[in-house]
Parts: sequence; structure tokens; C-alpha cells
Amino acid sequence: MGFSRWWREWGRGRRWRPVEVHRDSRAALTLSYLTFKDLITSNDEVLEAIADLEQKLQGDTFFGMNYIRFRCVTAATHTYRMIANLNKLSGRRYPELPVVFSQIQRAIEAVLEKGRHRASPAGPWVLDFAEVDASLHDRVGGKSANLGELRNRVHLPVPEGFAVTTDAYRLFLERNALHEEIRARLIHVDFDDLDSLQEASDAVREVFLEAPLPPEVEAALLEGHRRLSERLGRSARVSVRSSAVGEDGEVSFAGQYVSLLNVTRETLVEAYKKVLAGLYTPRAIFYRHVHGIPDEDIPMGAAVVAMVEAAASGVACSVNPARPEGGTLVINGAWGLGVGTVGGSVSPDFWEVEKEGELALREARLGSKETSVEPLPQGGITPVALDPALGSSFCLTERQVKELALLVLAAEKHYGKPQELEWALDTLGRFTLLQCRPLRISARQEAGTAEPPPEVAGHPLLLRGASASSGTAAGPVHPLKSLEDLPSVPEGVVVVARHSSPQLVKVMGRVAAIVTDIGAPTGHMASLAREFGVPAVLDTREATSRLEAGRVVTVDAGRGAVYDGRVESLLQAAAPPLRRSLKGTPVHRLLEEIARHIVPLNLTDPRSPDFRQGACRTFHDIVRFIHEKAFEEMFRLSDRVTDAAYRSVRLRAHLPFELYLIDIGGGLRRPPEGPEIAPEELRSEPMKALLLGMCDPALRWWEPKGISLTGFLSVATESLFTPVHDAAERRLGDRSYAIVAESYCNFSSRIGYHFTAVDAFSSENLSRNYVSFRFKGGAADDLRRARRCELIGEILRRLDFQIERNGDLINARLRKFPRETIEDRLGQLGRLIVATRQLDMRMGPGAPVAWYVEAFFRGNYLFDPDAGPPAEAPGGAP
Amino acid sequence: MRVVRLLLVDDEKRFTETLGKRLVARGLFVETVNSGPEALAALESRPFDVVLLDVRMPGMDGLEVLRALKKAHPLVEVILLSGNASIHAAIEGMRLGAMDYLLKPADLEDVLAKVEEAFEKKKVAEERAKEDRRSRGLP
Repeated sequence: MGFSRWWREWGRGRRWRPVEVHRDSRAALTLSYLTFKDLITSNDEVLEAIADLEQKLQGDTFFGMNYIRFRCVTAATHTYRMIANLNKLSGRRYPELPVVFSQIQRAIEAVLEKGRHRASPAGPWVLDFAEVDASLHDRVGGKSANLGELRNRVHLPVPEGFAVTTDAYRLFLERNALHEEIRARLIHVDFDDLDSLQEASDAVREVFLEAPLPPEVEAALLEGHRRLSERLGRSARVSVRSSAVGEDGEVSFAGQYVSLLNVTRETLVEAYKKVLAGLYTPRAIFYRHVHGIPDEDIPMGAAVVAMVEAAASGVACSVNPARPEGGTLVINGAWGLGVGTVGGSVSPDFWEVEKEGELALREARLGSKETSVEPLPQGGITPVALDPALGSSFCLTERQVKELALLVLAAEKHYGKPQELEWALDTLGRFTLLQCRPLRISARQEAGTAEPPPEVAGHPLLLRGASASSGTAAGPVHPLKSLEDLPSVPEGVVVVARHSSPQLVKVMGRVAAIVTDIGAPTGHMASLAREFGVPAVLDTREATSRLEAGRVVTVDAGRGAVYDGRVESLLQAAAPPLRRSLKGTPVHRLLEEIARHIVPLNLTDPRSPDFRQGACRTFHDIVRFIHEKAFEEMFRLSDRVTDAAYRSVRLRAHLPFELYLIDIGGGLRRPPEGPEIAPEELRSEPMKALLLGMCDPALRWWEPKGISLTGFLSVATESLFTPVHDAAERRLGDRSYAIVAESYCNFSSRIGYHFTAVDAFSSENLSRNYVSFRFKGGAADDLRRARRCELIGEILRRLDFQIERNGDLINARLRKFPRETIEDRLGQLGRLIVATRQLDMRMGPGAPVAWYVEAFFRGNYLFDPDAGPPAEAPGGAP
Repeated sequence: MRVVRLLLVDDEKRFTETLGKRLVARGLFVETVNSGPEALAALESRPFDVVLLDVRMPGMDGLEVLRALKKAHPLVEVILLSGNASIHAAIEGMRLGAMDYLLKPADLEDVLAKVEEAFEKKKVAEERAKEDRRSRGLP
């Protein structure tokens, strides 16, 4: 029972002791193997999480809070598992690691939970507009704050009403424990699958509508309504509109939330909850996702606004978004309530007004207004067919246009930047401003130029319309029959729709351009198109009838033109599409804060005195430390095995180095009889594959010839001055070791001055299969090292590995491939490991890295510049 | 070779049914229950190798079940499943002896790989326990 003896010996004289003393060495060794393998698997998981976090930190891909949580949990779980396994393997020799881990875990949790544990909401739950101005933005949200500001600071006409505070919403969430509910439902969302977005949205909104409003909030709402009715002298009909913090600010949220019109006292509470639930419409969730706004804790207020008996209504922009330099403002309007103009379902009247001097009318264009939206006596609204005579007359007189223009200019002057306003004209001919927010000018450069679209030879001009944004793009026409078909809109198409709709935001990330029959450049969709940098031409009247599916067209949005075919001259002249970056968004900032505790690697040098458990500051440090120590522990273990069956044996193979093996379960055909075994005795499939590669006759590396003298010198010199450090390393320097089992191998070695480790699992279950490869260079000067790393990285990439490079260190992983692929790649790794020694000698400043990569894949492992045609097919067996 | 005996615990009936069916189709022996107490009762009366356990359940939550389960059946391997990515719950689960913490919706292949891993572990642990008993002259 040699095993138990060493185990006892090992335990003697130390503070710690193995938990149990096992008489059966095989089971114990198998257990260490499983523990070790677990540890290596977790190592891969953490490194993968880190690599992914680093990629997301670049800011050019979208992610949300769920992504961050998901990655944090993976990284934390596997780091913890590695600590537990290392302690199991070593008999608890690393007591500091759990302590360090807990500190890091707490730091990450603190960032994730930041803001979640504020003081409980205390009210007030509602504030009359008379008490509100822009300074209360955080407590009442953007819409209410702007209305209060216009009313109390600029003295412009706004409707009577009151704000429901963000505290009211917070209380609603808190009382019903909705945070968790929301998060649990949103975790299923796959942003590439709009159906899953719809499902999650439905689920969250259902939760909202079922949850009761706290009684104090309900009472305050009704009291606010009572006061409002008192001021109006009748039971007020109101519109209830979302007023989120940040909404109507720098990020527009245009049309992303919900407004309910003509709400009665009886339906007020329900309407308020619907507005809250509107935070989770699919387009709102999507919008926040692409803007990096966390889905939890969105401070949400509401504006309860007395309905204006509107004869006409619409939108005005204090700067023409299509021609920002033109010195004009634009007004859109239609009969009845404003939803038509804003939502894009009628073609409104249009005025362009000079801002300087007499406010001269630059242009007045009659829309086609077949319907108007009117309130219903019982509450709610309905579209009503318009008297054709009315429909074909302007909804504002020229005098009224000028009157409105003055209000628009006053708002712009107050805020000091271009504004977008919603307006209504009541039946007594008085204007009221319903909303005011900063106007977003196109995200692309050189927004629409005034010049008419040029003639292009061979490409007939098919359509003209209103420019909603700028930019030029081409693609096949994709007619959108109904908004329900949005999920199936393919990438890169030109969407052609009857009406413009803010719902189209859901495909703005993937379409080339948008063209509609009807819609105003001042509407919500237009501002979203500008924000997303999507070329959009609206109000073409006949796009759906003129553009058939599949026809390739070029959309020159700045000039409001659609051409037949791909017009290369226009596409090339256009500014490159603006890349959206998440950098600076709240979610990205949060990720940066969290990544600080996970990603940086401080423990880079195992020989440094700072390479110790207490010095770990990030998960990456812990993982790096454990990876190093785990190998030490495994060899410590095998060195102590006195039971012949589990002692290491030397492999008798045609190799340029000595290889010692430890079998920990089915890696050999039978228990070894002497200190040496023949390669035929191996049963471990991954080890066999690796070995076959290393023994490839084409390598012949121990017969070097034609070494460049400087190359040789630089290797020789450095080796003279590189001190050998601890014993473990010296040993690894002399020999190569492999731990093998039936479907597993772990190989580590120094060949020449390189440290190499391969860890692989190969079975019929491809989910469990992996190869992980680690290379640390040595010898040679910096230039050679850099080129060598580049070369190895490129070869591994070509072999489908995921690469992580850190200075001189390469970590490469390959996961979930079938057995045949895994074993083929192991063979290539075997060749690469042996061939890299040649590399240092050969890699002068001469040939480009690509040449060496090609040489490797042609089987020219000696990197002989005079080598003839390929000796064998790439990846072929030796 | 012995078939894995898996107990699937989740309060969402629809979830246990679908996942259960898919796991059975992959050759596992699967029993599903929809609450913590039911899970503990099942473990009392029948042997299982691996438990797939939901963390968020009304009444007795997954971590409580895990605690009780590991006390009574230390060799049974537990994989936690959660729709809620909470580091705290994950680490607490690992501390209580869970083998892993998977996030819903989990890929079927990932679940299978984890179950297989857990089963392997359980077999080795059982073998050790057997050897241990034998060496002490117990049956």
C-alpha cells in the first residue's frame, strides 16, 4: 500500500492533514485526476469569460445588464470552483485564496447592486405643474420637467396638469418586489430573435398590470385629478404620458414609451399602470439595449395632462433637420389630435419658415389628410374620416404659422439649442405646447443638402420624398406588409413600408435603409433614424406601389431620392456609416467598473516573489495563480506515488526529449511492468494523437542546418544569462511530463526554452471535448519573440483556436468539436510544439510572418527557405 | 453501463416537462418534481445520482433544498439551475456543495455534459466509499 504510505508521509509534520487516508490509491488518484480536470475546465471557462469581457469593453457590440450578470456569475462560479479544487488537490494549502475571492466578489456585487439600496421612496407622489421646473428632472422625468419649465420659467402656454413622481414608481416596484420579476423575465431575451423579445415584453407587462398600485399612490393620483378638475371647472379628461428620467434628454427615446389619450377619472389608475408597463414594450427594451441603458431601475415618472380640444395639432422643429444650416424652422400639422403626425399615419401639412426677420414662409406644402384622430365621449380616441374639403385645406393659416413659429423660437432661445415641440391649436384658436425636447440632428455627417438629386446615367430616379436622415445605402427592396412581420426582416435590405412607425427601430440595427409612402421627417421614426444613422426617405406617396420586392435600389436619404440599381458613384461619395459605440453609456461604464475586478492580470511572473495567493487582486490573478500551482500539485502527487502502477514511466519514443507519463485511469493498455513503456502501450486517444504529431518524420528537428549565426547567438547568449529558478522548474526543464487517462491528456514541457502545456479531452460527446494550449516563449530577443508569438497565434487561428495573447504568453482554446477534429488538431499541436524550436533559429527579421505560416501548413516544419513543393497535405498524418 | 438517474426539480411545470422529455430522449432516467419538499421525499424513497435543482422556488428555495439534501445524501451530485444571475446565490450554492450553477435558458448539450460529469464524480465517490467500508471490514 505504497500510496497510503506516501500520503501519510506527506501529511506528517505539516499543520494541515489530508481529510481522509485512503488505502485505495487508484480511487484517490482518479479523484485527483477528476479534481485536476475540473480545475482546468474551470480555468478555460474563466479565461473565456475574461476574453469576452475584454471584447465587450471595446464598445462596438451591444450588451445589456443581463450579459454583465451572466458573465460575472460564470467567472465567479468557476474561479470559486478552481479554489475549491486546488485546495482539495493540495490538502488545503491555499487558505488565503477564499478570503481574497470573497473580497473581490463583494466588490463586484457592490457595483452590480449600486443604487439598488437607496432610501425608501418617500413621496410626494404627485406634483402640480405649477410646482415643477427643469431642476426637478430627476424626480418627475423629462416630459413633466420640460412642461413645468416652459410654463413657469418661459411663460409659454402649456396645458394644466400634474406630474407623477419617480418615487411613486419606485414604491410600486418595491411593494410588489418587481425588480426580480423583471430581471427573471428579461434574461430569456435573445436580441437577434425578435419573437423572444416580444415574449419577454408580454410577460413583464403582464406582471405590471397584475400588480396593485400602492394605496397612497392611488389616493394621490385621484387627489391630483380632483384638483385639476377644480381648476378646469369640469371632470378633467387627461392624457397620461410617460416621463422617464433621461427621456427627452440627450438620448431621445422618441416615441419609445406610451401615451394614453382622453383618459377619464375612472380609468386613470389603469392608464398610469399601462404607461409604466410601457417601459417594457419590445421596442423600448430593444432601444435601451442598443443604447446601453440598464433595464432595471429606470426612474419613471408620468405626466397627467388636461386634454386640449384640438382643432389641429402637430410637431415643430426649431431647426430643419433635413437642412440644419438653412436657417429655417419647420412645422408639421394635421386636423384633430396630434397622434397622426407624430406616429406617421397621415401625410401632414408642412411649412418651412425663415427664422430671421419677418418669419417669411419659405415653403408651404399641403398634406394628404384623409383621417383625423378625435376623442371619444366615453374615453379613448378614434380615427375619423375627414370631409374631403377640409382634408385638402391647410390646418393652419399663415398668421397662425407665424404665431406658432414665435413660440418655437422662444423655446429654442430658452434652452439655447434646437428643440422639437408638439403643439395643439384649440377650438378657440389658442396654441398650447404639449411637449418640448432637444432636437437630434442626423447622426451622420453632412445632413441633407439642399441641392436636388442629380441625374445618374443608367440609374433612373424612381422616387422622391422627404429626407428624414442623411446617408446613402443600397440593398434589395423588402416590402413590409405589417409590423408583425418585423422579426423576419432580413439584414441589409431596404425596408419599404406604407407608414413610418417608431416600431421600425427594432430593425434599424440591420437594415440598409427605410423608405415609406407616408410619414413626416419631424415624426418619431425620423428622429430614431437619425439617431441610428439609418438612411430614411419618407412621404414618397408611392414607394409601396412602385418598388417591388427584391429590386436593388440605392437610397440617397440626404436628397430624399431613390434610384434604381446600385449607384456606386453615390455610395462611394457618401460618408462611411457611423459606427455606434457603447462607450460612455451607463451599461458600458458599469462594465468597466466591474471588469476592473475581473480582467487585469497582475501576477504575470511565476518566479517573482509577488506570485503568491495574497497578492491576487482580480479573478484573472487567482485563476493564473491556481493554474500554475495545480501543475505543481499534480507532480508533487505523482512524485510521491510509490505504488508501481501509478508511478511515472518513461516513454520509449523517437522524440528529441524525455517524456514521462502518469496514468490516472485507462490511459495505458495495462499496468506498466518496468520503468519504460513503448508507445503501443498507450491507450489515451488524445495523447496518441499529440505524440503522432510530435514524432512526424518531417520534423527532424535535431538535425539543424543552415542556422543564421546571429539567430544562434541570440539564443545561446540569452540561455547563458537566464538563471534557472526553483526546483520544479528545473525538473520541467529536463523532462516533459504527461498525465493521461483514456479520453484525457495533459502534457507539459520545456523544449528548448519554451514552456508548453496541452490539456485535452476527446470523447464521442462533443460538448465535453476541448483542447487548451498554452505557450510561453523564452530565449531570443524581443523582436523574435513578438514575431514568434504572432506566427504561433496565426497558425492556431487557422486551426480554429480562440487565441488570447498577453505579451509572450499565448492561451489558445478549442471547444466542442468532434473527436476527429480534436485529434487532428492535437497532431498539429504536436508538430507545432516541436517545430517552434526551429523557429527561434530561423526567424530573423527577413521573411514575413505569413511565409512561416504557409511553410508550416505546407509541411515545411524546418522552415527551409529552399524547400520544394509541399511534402504532404496540411494536417495529414505522419 | 449504468444509466444516470436524474431528479429534475423546478416549480415551473412547463419547464420540467420539456427538459425532462428531452433528457429522457437522450437516454437518461429522469423523474421530475415541482417543489423542494417533493424532491426531498423522492430522494428518501428512491436512489438518484444527480439532481438538477432550480434556485428560485416558492416556499422552500433551491439553496434550502440543497442544504437538506447534502446532509442526508452527501454523495448525490447537485447542479443548480437559475433564471436569475446572482453571484451571491451561485457562490452560496457552490459553498453548500453544488457541483455547478447553470443559467437558464441553458443549452441542452451543456446540461448533458454537466450531468455526465456529475455522474462520473458520483461513481468515483461511491467507489471510494465502498473501498473505505471494505477496508474497515464492513459489508
